[in-house]
Amino acid sequence: MKALGIVFRKELREIVRDRRTLMAIALAALATPLVLIVISQVSTKTATQTYTIGYSGQIPTGLDILLSATGLKLEVVADPAAAAKQQVDLGVAFLPAEIDEYYDPTRQSAQIADTRLQTVLGQYNAAKAASALQQKGIDPGLLNPLPQKIHPLSSPAKAAGNAFLSFFLPYILITMVLTGGLSAALDSSAGERERKTLESLLLTPAPRSRILLGKILAISLISLVAAVAAIGSMLLALTQIPLLGSRVSLSPLAAVVMVWLAILLAGSFSSLTLALGTLAKNFRQGQAYATPLYFITIFPASIILFIPDFNPNLAYYLIPILNAVLVLRDAIVHDSVAWPALAVTTASLIATGLICWFTALRLFTREALLVRS
Amino acid sequence: MSPAAVKIERLEKTLGKNKVLRGISLEANSGEIFGLLGPNGAGKTTTLRIISTLLAPDAGSVEVLGFDTRAAPEEVRRRVGVVTADIGVYPRLSARENIRYFAELSGVLDGELERRVDAVLTRLDMASFANQRAESLSSGQKQKVAIARAIVHDPEVLMFDEPTSNLDVLASREIRGFMVESRGRGKCVIFSTHVLHDAERLCDRITILHEGSVVATGLTAEVRGAHRDLEDAFLELVDK
Repeated sequence: MKALGIVFRKELREIVRDRRTLMAIALAALATPLVLIVISQVSTKTATQTYTIGYSGQIPTGLDILLSATGLKLEVVADPAAAAKQQVDLGVAFLPAEIDEYYDPTRQSAQIADTRLQTVLGQYNAAKAASALQQKGIDPGLLNPLPQKIHPLSSPAKAAGNAFLSFFLPYILITMVLTGGLSAALDSSAGERERKTLESLLLTPAPRSRILLGKILAISLISLVAAVAAIGSMLLALTQIPLLGSRVSLSPLAAVVMVWLAILLAGSFSSLTLALGTLAKNFRQGQAYATPLYFITIFPASIILFIPDFNPNLAYYLIPILNAVLVLRDAIVHDSVAWPALAVTTASLIATGLICWFTALRLFTREALLVRS
Repeated sequence: MSPAAVKIERLEKTLGKNKVLRGISLEANSGEIFGLLGPNGAGKTTTLRIISTLLAPDAGSVEVLGFDTRAAPEEVRRRVGVVTADIGVYPRLSARENIRYFAELSGVLDGELERRVDAVLTRLDMASFANQRAESLSSGQKQKVAIARAIVHDPEVLMFDEPTSNLDVLASREIRGFMVESRGRGKCVIFSTHVLHDAERLCDRITILHEGSVVATGLTAEVRGAHRDLEDAFLELVDK
């Protein structure tokens, strides 16, 4: 096992001296807080922004005050339908007995203005109806025969924050574990061939499996450092930047689950990228081989975005990467872990890592590696 | 007479669709420079790669100091040092770190490590650039690093595969001097080259390969025979 340690130390020394890898880690650590600041500002701006309603006709008494208080500005237009296409966010024609509303669903501003208008109109209609009933001596409670009392089991703001984390964090984890060590993996495999050091390395009596394992461990470590740097800076930023109306934080359980999954993913990704790099004659060719990995890995991470309430059965936890995303999502959203799901996920990721390791070893020990070079 | 340091018998090797070696046999001894000669594509590099266990033979056998390359590859690699024309080094490591890395992987013990590295740095006159990163070294300096890493574990068998093909006159002369010095230390030096003039000056015995077969073997003077030089002898041997 001595050779393993020797290779591990040498690879780490080279990685630490490689500007490309260090820059990638530093950029990731800086980029995530910047992205959060942008998201925070956009969400704040969206919540406080005033939208314009272009209207015609006579506004019912008091409605203009309610609209104005909800961030909806009124502007007289000749044709509300035409104005709603571009000039204003929403078009409304106040007719004697009804209200005609025009809006373009492809515009996000129109959707937000519509939601606000529906809320205001609901309140206005309810108030008017209650007032009319009261004037006739009838209890306005008649309008609300089943009064509803809501008891949220956790803070809605915290839940919204967790939902955000449950998408964003697995996404960053997977991308950073993959990309954080990619440059080092290609340098350590395709780079060895390109620099013509591979033959000398294989001429040493050190067993090739140990050489490969030393490389994988060094790359895994740097992938973990990259992921931890990106996620750490993100969590630190979240303590300072209000997001969705509250400060978001990661529970200790979710943090432990995240680190465990990161270790498992790093082992698999390192073996896989080393195997791909071993197939390549040079660094550039290795990058070309590794490019599809981005899509393959990002797709499962994105599934949470498209199907937020995806509740799979245990078999889904056999699918590598998707299983890590699901386990981490549950840990973040519910602050709990389904142990069978975690066990299946762990077994699946270890099996994936072993398959990648054997593939890398087979490629690393084949004669064609030297003959082609 | 002591047994041969390297003994090859009826060695065959096919790479892809090419039959590169067609049953070659040869022996190289300790304390001599043995020339493995032939034009490009004759099978010289493949032979050296099989001796150093990088490639496995399809048929025949190779023994290095009594160890079979297939049965005990790690023992063979422990006793062999190879210098090639490719002077690849780890650019972000210093010359000293490059050498130390290979010494450690070759099994040089911790207590011996720095002494061995220092000794080889002194022997090859590398002290002035030992702590410089390899990326900033000249070709000649890199070649010295390549030699140093091949000999730092003090192997009994040294193989040089076209070692001077990328070097200038001065650096080439240093390499030749080093081969002669190693012979003086009792090492078995195998010198593979297509430059017959170099071989004629250095080698005690030679084997000429052509299209994967041995076309001549023996003392350098014997192979040259009555010809003006080795080149003329070679041309006659391959009927050109």
